[in-house]
Amino acid sequence: MKRLLPDVFRGAENDPPVSRSQVWLHNLELSRGDEYLIAAESGTGKTSLCSFIYGVRTDYQGDILFDGENIRSFDTARWCHIRRRHLAWLPQEMRLFPELSVMDNILIKNRLTDCCTEAEIRRMLEHLEVENKADTLAAYLSVGQQQRVAVIRALVQPFDFIILDEPVSHLDARNNAAVAALVTESASAREASVIATSVGNHLALNNPKIIHL
Amino acid sequence: MSYANITGRLLRRNISTGQLLGYALANLVGLAIVMCAIQFYRDVRSSFDTDSDAFINRDYLVLSPQVSSLGTVTGAQSGFTPEMISELEAQPWTRRVGRFSNAEFNVSASIDFGGRGMSTFLFFESIPDEFFDVRPSGWRFDPEHPEIPIIVSKDYLALYNFGFASSRGLPQLSEGVINKVPLNISLAGNGRMATYPGRIVGFSSRFNTIAVPESFMTWANSNFGDSAKAGANPSRLIVEVENPGAPEVRQFIESHGYEVAGDKENSSRAGYFLTVVTGIVITVGAVISLLAFFILVLSLALLLQKNRRKLSDLMLLGYSPQSVARAYFPIISWINGAVYIVAATLTGVGAWLWEERLESASVGATSLWPTLLVGFAIIAAITLLGYMSILGRVRRYFRP
Repeated sequence: MKRLLPDVFRGAENDPPVSRSQVWLHNLELSRGDEYLIAAESGTGKTSLCSFIYGVRTDYQGDILFDGENIRSFDTARWCHIRRRHLAWLPQEMRLFPELSVMDNILIKNRLTDCCTEAEIRRMLEHLEVENKADTLAAYLSVGQQQRVAVIRALVQPFDFIILDEPVSHLDARNNAAVAALVTESASAREASVIATSVGNHLALNNPKIIHL
Repeated sequence: MSYANITGRLLRRNISTGQLLGYALANLVGLAIVMCAIQFYRDVRSSFDTDSDAFINRDYLVLSPQVSSLGTVTGAQSGFTPEMISELEAQPWTRRVGRFSNAEFNVSASIDFGGRGMSTFLFFESIPDEFFDVRPSGWRFDPEHPEIPIIVSKDYLALYNFGFASSRGLPQLSEGVINKVPLNISLAGNGRMATYPGRIVGFSSRFNTIAVPESFMTWANSNFGDSAKAGANPSRLIVEVENPGAPEVRQFIESHGYEVAGDKENSSRAGYFLTVVTGIVITVGAVISLLAFFILVLSLALLLQKNRRKLSDLMLLGYSPQSVARAYFPIISWINGAVYIVAATLTGVGAWLWEERLESASVGATSLWPTLLVGFAIIAAITLLGYMSILGRVRRYFRP
């Protein structure tokens, strides 16, 4: 990332949070294989950062480069490919389809990537203790349950980086550990990097590099 | 269960059955009108087309000035003056004008039936070659070896075969037989007389005359022609026109007091009105179809708008615009397929119903296939435009 700054912070470059940030207006390189924890207070642009990297929003100045290539030049087809093969994302608001069952919510991603068998998905659901909800509509899940289902959905694809925007904000310590174990296991199997954001309840990663936003 | 089914179930929620049914009905009405009109036009038009073999076909008019009683008495020549011809040529509906040239000499023909001769006076006319509907071999004249090729009207042969021969118990003659009969043509005039061999080489359904090549006519007129009559105005003209039934053509002919040979002008007029009426009906049908298409596009646009959030979520999962848009394609395909089948059936039933009435007017039915093909092309175009409209909209939602 090269001197990245959200448009909303323009004109406030010398004020907090930009002045205290290790990301905004700095050059920052995230490498594959490492774990990163982006710690921040609310309102500092966490979700914006995730959206910029995932190509959902372009309201920033500065540049984001993937392997030296500016992502502003990517077209829709390229983004579709990246999102299926290289970049996984758990949005803060989960974005499950409430009218689909838990299983369908995961399958809708998995059929695109053909990454896991249904048995493997059930094992992950079991690991996060939502296996009994497999056929329940996502609309009837608690926020904590939705968070766990959304984590699994983010994992059923090949990736080089997985971006988790506040993945455990509604989870207790035991579930946090279970999610962290699953994410770490999946990431190391793919030799991939984890980027997790948090406002307080940190994902229980082993030895993450902590970046203050 | 395939993911296509999951996305299909997801995206096809909120579909307004009422709107789509409205589209289907409207498009059905439009398409059925268009297809019925085309089929009806083809059926009725076929009866005019069979008449194209007659004296006037669809594109040609043979004009002559009206012969007045006074002219008969005084023997005055009524021909087309150069001014009249250039006025005719200047009309916007005129493609080209050909002049009939008359023989300025006396012609008689004789046939030798094994010693029994038969002789008759004849007349010759010539018309520029490009106006002929037939191009028989031997249609040329060489003054070094003069043999006169002749084209006669098909009507003459029919008149002989079905009028004269059958009533007198004489054998009927085919075109092939007549082509082989050697004729002796005597030309007389300008103080000279000569006999040349001649042959009927073809039969025309466009001209009601006995025609010889223009090159022969020029040669013969210069040798046997009465120099006093030379260069007289042509008494008949052949005009190739855009549409002989058009009112402006009729108006021109009437106001100049010309006569159109034969009485097929009415069929041309009827053909013209048929074209106009069919044009109006097809336009109405097409407009209805077009409006129906807008209903479809609007309905799908509303549906996509309602599903906008889902579309962008699918995009975040890595779905391509094409794969998302594809979820909507079956809807259009099924509806349009059903519309087409029903419209085709209606056209078939309609054609069957009017066939009975038309048959009593001795109009035969034509094949349904061309109409079905046109209908299919229309529905395929609507389907394709529908796909493109959806894909374009989804693509717009996908842009970051």
